[in-house]
Amino acid sequence: MTLDGHVPGGPIESKWERHKFALKLVNPANRRRHTVIVVGTGLAGASAAATLGELGYNVLAFTILDSPRRSHSIAAQGGINAAKNYKNDGDSVFRLFYDTIKGGDFRSREANVYRLAEVSVDIIDQCVAQGVPFAREYGGLLANRSFGGAQVSRTFYARGQTGQQLLLGAYGALMRQVQRGQVRMLPRREMLDLVVIDGKARGIVVRNLATGALERHAADAVLLATGGYGNVYYLSTNAGNSNVTAAWRCARRGAYFANPCFVQIHPTCIPITGDHQAKLTLMSESLRNDGRVWVPRTPRDPRPAREIPEADRDYFLERRYPSFGNLVPRDVASRATKAVCDEGRGVGATGLAVYLDLADAIQRLGEATIRERYGNLFDMYRQITAEDPYRTPMRIYPAVHYTMGGLWVDYDLMSNLPGLFVLGEANFSDHGANRLGASALMQGLADGYFIAPYTLAGYVAGTPLGPVSTDHDAFREAEAQVQARIDRVLALSGGRTVTQLHRELGRVMWDDVGMTRNEAGLRRALERVRALRDAYWQDVRVPGRKDNLNKQLELALRIADYLEFAELITRDALYRTESCGCHFREESQTPEGEAQRDDERFGHVAAWEFTGVDREPILHREPLAFEAVHPSQRSYK
Amino acid sequence: MRHNGRVGENGFWRRLWSTAVGRKALMALTGLLMIGFLVTHLAGNLLVFEGPATFNGYSHSLLSPPMLYLTYLIEVALLVFFLVHLIAALLVTARNRDARPVRYARRRWAGGTSHKSISSTTMILSGLVVLVFVPLHLWTFKFGPHYVTTTEPHVRDLYRLVIEEFHEPGEVVWYVLAMLVIGFHLWHGFGSAFESLGVPYRLPLRRVGQALAVVLAGGFALIPIAIALFVGGPR
Amino acid sequence: MILNLLVWRQPAPDAPGRLVPYTVHDAAPDMSFLELLDVLNEDLVKRGEDPIAFDYDCREGICGSCAMMIDGVPHGPLPGTTACQLFLRHFPDGATVTVEPWRAKPFPVVKDLVVDRSAFDRIMAAGGFVSADTGSAPEANMIPVPKDAAEAAMDAAACIGCGACVAACKNASAALFVGAKVTHLVLMPQGHPERERRVLAMVEQAEREGFGACSNEGECQAVCPKEISVAHIARMNREYLRALLKRL
Ligand SMILES: Cc1cc2nc3c(=O)[nH]c(=O)nc-3n(C[C@H](O)[C@H](O)[C@H](O)COP(=O)(O)OP(=O)(O)OC[C@H]3O[C@@H](n4cnc5c(N)ncnc54)[C@H](O)[C@@H]3O)c2cc1C
Ligand code: HEM
Ligand code: HEM
Ligand code: SF4
Ligand code: F3S
Ligand code: FES
Repeated sequence: MTLDGHVPGGPIESKWERHKFALKLVNPANRRRHTVIVVGTGLAGASAAATLGELGYNVLAFTILDSPRRSHSIAAQGGINAAKNYKNDGDSVFRLFYDTIKGGDFRSREANVYRLAEVSVDIIDQCVAQGVPFAREYGGLLANRSFGGAQVSRTFYARGQTGQQLLLGAYGALMRQVQRGQVRMLPRREMLDLVVIDGKARGIVVRNLATGALERHAADAVLLATGGYGNVYYLSTNAGNSNVTAAWRCARRGAYFANPCFVQIHPTCIPITGDHQAKLTLMSESLRNDGRVWVPRTPRDPRPAREIPEADRDYFLERRYPSFGNLVPRDVASRATKAVCDEGRGVGATGLAVYLDLADAIQRLGEATIRERYGNLFDMYRQITAEDPYRTPMRIYPAVHYTMGGLWVDYDLMSNLPGLFVLGEANFSDHGANRLGASALMQGLADGYFIAPYTLAGYVAGTPLGPVSTDHDAFREAEAQVQARIDRVLALSGGRTVTQLHRELGRVMWDDVGMTRNEAGLRRALERVRALRDAYWQDVRVPGRKDNLNKQLELALRIADYLEFAELITRDALYRTESCGCHFREESQTPEGEAQRDDERFGHVAAWEFTGVDREPILHREPLAFEAVHPSQRSYK
Repeated sequence: MRHNGRVGENGFWRRLWSTAVGRKALMALTGLLMIGFLVTHLAGNLLVFEGPATFNGYSHSLLSPPMLYLTYLIEVALLVFFLVHLIAALLVTARNRDARPVRYARRRWAGGTSHKSISSTTMILSGLVVLVFVPLHLWTFKFGPHYVTTTEPHVRDLYRLVIEEFHEPGEVVWYVLAMLVIGFHLWHGFGSAFESLGVPYRLPLRRVGQALAVVLAGGFALIPIAIALFVGGPR
Repeated sequence: MILNLLVWRQPAPDAPGRLVPYTVHDAAPDMSFLELLDVLNEDLVKRGEDPIAFDYDCREGICGSCAMMIDGVPHGPLPGTTACQLFLRHFPDGATVTVEPWRAKPFPVVKDLVVDRSAFDRIMAAGGFVSADTGSAPEANMIPVPKDAAEAAMDAAACIGCGACVAACKNASAALFVGAKVTHLVLMPQGHPERERRVLAMVEQAEREGFGACSNEGECQAVCPKEISVAHIARMNREYLRALLKRL
């Protein structure tokens, strides 16, 4: 079945402008009669909730965490892109658009990406006005740095804490609306179901995580900004509370899930030390600007790194990609790293690591310069590993980082369920099969500040929305289902913990649905995921009560959803027999071992409709038409 | 709990008195002004070593017009400072206690850049010692026996009073201890006051404060000790 | 390595709590303190006991979720470090470590080590922002900001809202938290128009929440994982007094 992205017609440069004019407006006096639910207060959610509050809507905002000042977004280090062309180096809206489309390996929707590039400039203006302390030049103007996948310098940053500062800006704006009474903030709430009435999203059921009480909330529209699902792999760079539950519950209510197999694996993370590990820590990509990646030539070389002479080292990225060298895109670097480790040449206790060596740079530029550039990263590395990166090379290994897939949305960021809008990492829209560095923050804020507020108005003004009460049968039912699920989970009294199962699920996903995939492995993964799901409902134990703060119960519910969702990722990966961006099917590679796209058969978005836990999902295809750019084969040789 | 920042637009004193920042600023200001008094008071008291004529003359001059009016003024001011400082201290301390109803089972000094000290944690105790000291002190001296000098000019013989007082070993010990406690109060108080008033803590300021505390405590303590040891007994 | 823990267990906000001893036999020097609690919790779950509740999210020292007194110091003995970035290699094998929640009236205990820090949100809502409606912003480079000012603002803006300052302060004062935000926004030209309104509102909201006064002890800066300086407290005081005087 073919899906329509509702992309407006006309030249790409003016689509958004004309669409904004075409969208209906809501009279300011009427806005307060409309209630909007915003789930998630990361960059996307906080910016949307604040803006809608400013506009005069009645906003209910929810987050799992204790405060909207926190969310996964806060951990973003590197920066945010914008086509300001302050460096006069040839940047433009079109170039940012082009880089993003190409970086995504031509699997994203042109019109969305163009709009993203277009509003990127407004984001910087907005954040500066909020007092975000971006890095400055001596003249007081904004500084930029360059980032992977681009030849221009267009990344704005606030030290290594860009996500934090942007989020605090949005949080401030949000709290201002809370103070004005426009937004009601409901922290420590987890959305556990979507309520659909007459085919439209009209509310949610949430659990108050502090008291355990289930609450029903009704609205005219639901904005989902609940982030990515990288934690389905158990270990990832994502925050501990990132999850797929909200999105998956919507999918179970009929929203299509698009391209779930597009998962980005970041090449430079601190390797795993043991089973106890709860998360992986990212080492900024910027280190690859000055660092050289290598492994010993012979497997299991016992010598310490510093004693291995040049001749016995393999600078494998430089060798395989002479022109881009250590700066190849994330997906390419990650796969090459995996390949050398699979050959047994990995380093460290586990053999699952490669060296990222700054010795040359330290020699060339001096330790002081390196300290200035990367001091905080080195400190973090030292804190975690107790090794001194000024003396010995760092050890790095790829880790799951970002999920390009997400709920399917049209040009208006509305899912196929009317009234359900999806923003930020939770949607699938803008990054295709691979996201460029510093573009997620941009997308989250674009969606929240500048896109959803318009398109939501168009929906609200153009749709007859009668009042609904939380006593409606649909609410009653949804709550009863959530209640039943909670009771079922709490009744489990096997011998394993949900975390154990999560860890096992992660291993399955990492081994067979990770950096490289093949049919046999994917089929095996399907079996193993199903087996784990059965094991879950038989062997786990979930202690505690439902009427108070119970982290194990929260985790149990999320992991149950991962166990369903993991199957969809695997199916999607199995379906997409081409390689593109981060999705590498071993069956589809060029003679040199690079990803081989198949535009003919897979030049579309794969959006899956849920039909039941053990049932085949239905595939809907949204064809991707490229008018402004022409798909080309990526090459970094 | 809505708040628009404009509450009590003109409530300067109310606001100053009702927030921690305001109260602390008042305490700091009054504390510093009282320190100012102490500096002059110490200087004046040291005249005791110049002998009775100078000391009594000095004290007499302060109590006869035109200086008398200034003295009255200062006395009233000091009383106000003292009371403001006292009441604010009681309010602030009570509230601070109230802010942590449940104590930690285990609490350690954080070290590093912390300047928490015994002095800073016992301000209310050292302050209360001052509260006991000052009335007793006034009772002893200001409202004490009104000796008159036997030689011309016939003025109040405070010198004698002081010498007598400090030949009582108990009094000497009490005074010395009290001076140490006051020094202790100022050891933290002086630097802290500047921060409360918005002058950023720069290390020299703290050091200056601590030096001043030593000088004041040492100077004051020197008087009873020196008198007890070196100045001849009551005539 | 083996670690003995004494953990504050309190099932509900107004239920009584107590310190309960635990021993973790399979601790490892590479574990973070939170991972130690994870390991202990896994054990408790298997034994059918209620695991220890604690807040976490990023586990890389930036979100400010994790919050606990470790051996008598907020976030533990290592300076400039959150609990999630505190590794066990800093503890001697066999050590006994007391773990308690933040203690402050405005931070009531929710369960075990979890406290309610929404008072911080209300302080921020009172004024911790620049009123700039979306869309109304001028071109970003219109107002230059001296590099030094931006850097100094960033130093203050680095606060992660963890509440360790309150936990460490003998008066449970929020002065460092409020001071950091006041400084951040006063150093940025964009923060100027609301300079007075902001500081008055934030300081007064902190008062209403029940935080104590600052006695200038500096414990807060010593435990702050972002090493925010008490100079910001002085600036907050100055800004507050200045705002009051301007309104006289
Ligand atoms: C270490 C790291 C570094 C990064 N660096 C960069 C970078 O330099 N530049 C860049 O552009 N991108 C970067 N990214 C990616 C970027 O940070 C994220 O993609 C982006 O912040 C996602 O924002 P979001 O608002 O969509 O979601 P999130 O920030 O994940 O927010 C999700 C929100 O939803 C809430 N939520 C989730 N589920 C529920 C539920 N069921 N009920 C209620 N609430 C729920 C959460 O509490 C949270 O508030 C980085 C990511 C990581 C992990
Ligand atoms: C009535 C007796 C006194 C009492 C009860 C008292 C009590 C206190 C207390 C409790 C504090 C600390 C407040 C805090 O927690 O920050 C304090 C601070 C201070 N006191 Fe006193 N005090 C008294 C007398 C004095 C006197 C006589 C002086 C000066 C000579 C003085 C000078 C100071 C100074 C300078 C501070 C520092 C103020 C600040 O931190 O801002 N005090 N006092
Ligand atoms: C050894 C130390 C001290 C000596 C010898 C001393 C001596 C005196 C004398 C002789 C007087 C009477 C003055 C008069 O009535 O004319 C006096 C008054 C006073 N002293 Fe002290 N004093 C000492 C320390 C202190 C200290 C530490 C304080 C404060 C904390 C203090 C506070 C006062 C005050 C407030 C008065 C009343 C001043 C007035 O009414 O004008 N004195 N002192
Ligand atoms: S000032 Fe420091 S200790 Fe206080 S909340 Fe902010 S980061 Fe935490
Ligand atoms: S520890 Fe407390 S007393 Fe002030 S300087 Fe810090 S808030
Ligand atoms: S968990 Fe985020 S700071 Fe510790």
